[in-house]
Amino acid sequence: MSSEVRFTDFKSDKQPTWCPGCGDFGTMNGMMKALAETGNDPDNTFIVAGIGCSGKIGTYMHSYALHGVHGRALPVGTGVKMARPDIEVMVAGGDGDGYSIGAGHFVHAVRRNVDMTYVVMDNRIYGLTKGQASPTSRSDFETSTTPEGTKQPPVNPHALALAAGATFIAQSFSSDALRHQEIIQQAIEHDGFGFVNVYSPCVTFNDVDTYDYFRDTLVDLEDEGHDPSDYEAAKEIILDADKEYQGVIYQDENSVPYGEQHGLTEDMSDIPEGAPEDAMDLVREFY
Amino acid sequence: MAEDLNWAIGGEAGDGIDSTGKIFAQALSRAGRHVFTSKDFASRIRGGYTAYKIRTSVDEVRSVVDRLDILVALTQRTIDENLDELHEGSAIIYDGERSWEAEIPEEMTAVDVPLKSLAEEAGGAIMRNVVALGAACAITGFDVEYLDESLEKRFGGKGSKIVENNKEAARLGRDYVHENYDLDHLGYDLETTDEDYVLLNGNEAIGMGAIAAGCRYYAGYPITPATSIMEYLTGRIERYGGHVVQAEDELSAINMALGAARAGARSMTATSGAGIDLMTETFGLIAQSETPLVITDVMRSGPSTGMPTKQEQGDLNMALYGGHGEVPRFVVAPTTISECFWKTIEAFNLAEKYQTPVFLVSDLAMSVTERTFSPETFDMDAVEIDRGKLVDDDSVGEWLDDKGRFRAHAATEDGVSPRSIPGTTDGAHMSTGLEHDELGRRTEDTEVRVQQVDKRTRKVETAKEREAWEYREFGDPDADALIVSWGSNEGALVEALDYLEAEDVSVRVLSVPYIFPRPDLTEEFEQADDVIVVECNATGQFADVLEHDTLTRVKRINKYTGVRFKADELAEDIKAKLKEEVPA
Repeated sequence: MSSEVRFTDFKSDKQPTWCPGCGDFGTMNGMMKALAETGNDPDNTFIVAGIGCSGKIGTYMHSYALHGVHGRALPVGTGVKMARPDIEVMVAGGDGDGYSIGAGHFVHAVRRNVDMTYVVMDNRIYGLTKGQASPTSRSDFETSTTPEGTKQPPVNPHALALAAGATFIAQSFSSDALRHQEIIQQAIEHDGFGFVNVYSPCVTFNDVDTYDYFRDTLVDLEDEGHDPSDYEAAKEIILDADKEYQGVIYQDENSVPYGEQHGLTEDMSDIPEGAPEDAMDLVREFY
Repeated sequence: MAEDLNWAIGGEAGDGIDSTGKIFAQALSRAGRHVFTSKDFASRIRGGYTAYKIRTSVDEVRSVVDRLDILVALTQRTIDENLDELHEGSAIIYDGERSWEAEIPEEMTAVDVPLKSLAEEAGGAIMRNVVALGAACAITGFDVEYLDESLEKRFGGKGSKIVENNKEAARLGRDYVHENYDLDHLGYDLETTDEDYVLLNGNEAIGMGAIAAGCRYYAGYPITPATSIMEYLTGRIERYGGHVVQAEDELSAINMALGAARAGARSMTATSGAGIDLMTETFGLIAQSETPLVITDVMRSGPSTGMPTKQEQGDLNMALYGGHGEVPRFVVAPTTISECFWKTIEAFNLAEKYQTPVFLVSDLAMSVTERTFSPETFDMDAVEIDRGKLVDDDSVGEWLDDKGRFRAHAATEDGVSPRSIPGTTDGAHMSTGLEHDELGRRTEDTEVRVQQVDKRTRKVETAKEREAWEYREFGDPDADALIVSWGSNEGALVEALDYLEAEDVSVRVLSVPYIFPRPDLTEEFEQADDVIVVECNATGQFADVLEHDTLTRVKRINKYTGVRFKADELAEDIKAKLKEEVPA
């Protein structure tokens, strides 16, 4: 089916329960279009998601998928890709899933550089639990659990990624459909761990980081003439806390993905019907 | 039973105790003698008392006993720690030239060998333990040439010079004892045979079983005493196209293993203690998403960090009940090192046939104990692999609904659904820890909820009927007293029978490798006057479930010192317990 895959083939017949206007619709559409555009088909694609609004994405898409436990989507995707180098793996999660409960896995997934794509649907709020602060919430953002703001700086996911040795760092805005799709596509095509933080506004609980806010402030790095292979320039952009931007921030063109480093080329699902032919050698080692 | 010899070397961690013991154990094994080893070690890298013990006989040996015949003592503490096991005829090899003055009880034979000086003569002080091995050979009449192959195996990678120096060190040790002591009165003459044995421990057997079963993916996080499974697989699994990954924590390890399993690979993780607690989060997801996964728990003393390098069988309740909600699972607990191999293979088959987590529960004593076996014990031709209802491009069609969607959680009669892995055309589907319908899609519909819970429960019921949940039996089948055991206690228990028989105490022993599902022992309990359940924990976790199954009160022998059961000690415990009243 791969030759004639359309993005709608990645759509399930389940109606999303996201709030009307939720940024996740655009995020998901871009993912489906990017997958189709890069020549993948649902039977050879695996989507992993964690918990929260973002975690529902596997239900609304059609492919092999696993909706796991909170914060652990990256390890699952890692296992899928290591066992099956032939399968396209995309991991999706929210800012809480990725940068709070899953922060430990995030930095290790980055430094492991497994050839998969990680899309974080960042709305700077906990939506499904009805409006608590998230790790990317602004320090003065008032929520049900932080009535006077968090009084802590928000996590800078790109800085975490850069420090961990990321080979592909990008950001997109779910409402800028074409650019979002392009950036996801570049992440898919990257040889290694493609990390994209997506501004995906929550229209119900976040009245600060809104569509209008991002539309007004967003700078496109491509328009700025930014060269993603320029590490120093990338560092400067990432550490500039006052700027909202989209585009590929950093890409290491010499990235060697984990599978290549470790010689993982075989389909591990294929095993013989009995013990391996030379298995008695394993016993003889104990003489 | 032929006379056995109990030998040990002890010193501080970092003194090369382990490798020295292993060299001697391999030499004895190569000489066609049975060997059973055990280790005492502390949770530190250098310093602290460490010992490696070997029991050897021409007959099969299944356990340790409370006796030590020859001790190589590198420190006074080695002597002090083992005073209980030393006896009048024991010989203690030590280096009188070293800075410590050995205090050796008068009735024992003190064998003062200048280990360090002789080692230096052979080429380096580092070989002093090998000099001691040579001395042990002289005392026991064991031909020092049997050491040569072990030394080659151990030091071959470092060049022939090193190997030759070590061989020389062993000979110097032997000659010194011959020249300076008249030890014929010790009366040892270690018989050799033409048997070819292999020598391996429980964790190595689990690793070997995993490869034999087609395991291709292992994710783990280092933790005593499970780590050696990961170390065994690293460097071997790659030969078969597999991979080992050291995850950032246990949460990640089990989720990586889960990912690989969903991708279609036979996949495993192993841990112990606190690691299994962290993994508990994912137990339910594995069961709910119906993913085949083998999770090995090599038990150690708990709770919390407990005693990380000491024996305990305290995690049975965790394996049976761990995880929130009701988690269908299998719990298999090998009772011997060879069973570590075969039950691992069975665990992979059960996991795929029933698409559910399988807990393979072993313990520290089994994981660090080495034993000799005939190589045929691990007959690879007998390995059977059953991947269950795995569909392919041709068979997937039977399982599509009228809209062409794959029914990954089809509510079949036996509770087992078809399984498609990525790449299978039309097999794409969603899996989730949420309650779901046949297609894997979230639901809170009461009827579907009941349908899916029943379906998952039904596959365990199916397995109960289809699989043989047997026990192994020893002793007198007609005895009034029934002893029940699980895990690594079997060896000590079976040897305890010899001691009991000598005193005309007759018992029947059941060793149960299946914790859930497990054999129904109601009839066996009813036939017995006395039932004693033996386990290495304080509360009697297996005794509890057996009482619940059979509605019969049992007596209990519990050891929770951190040390495994010994055959002679266990025989005494059983005799004492038989005299007690059955609890009300």
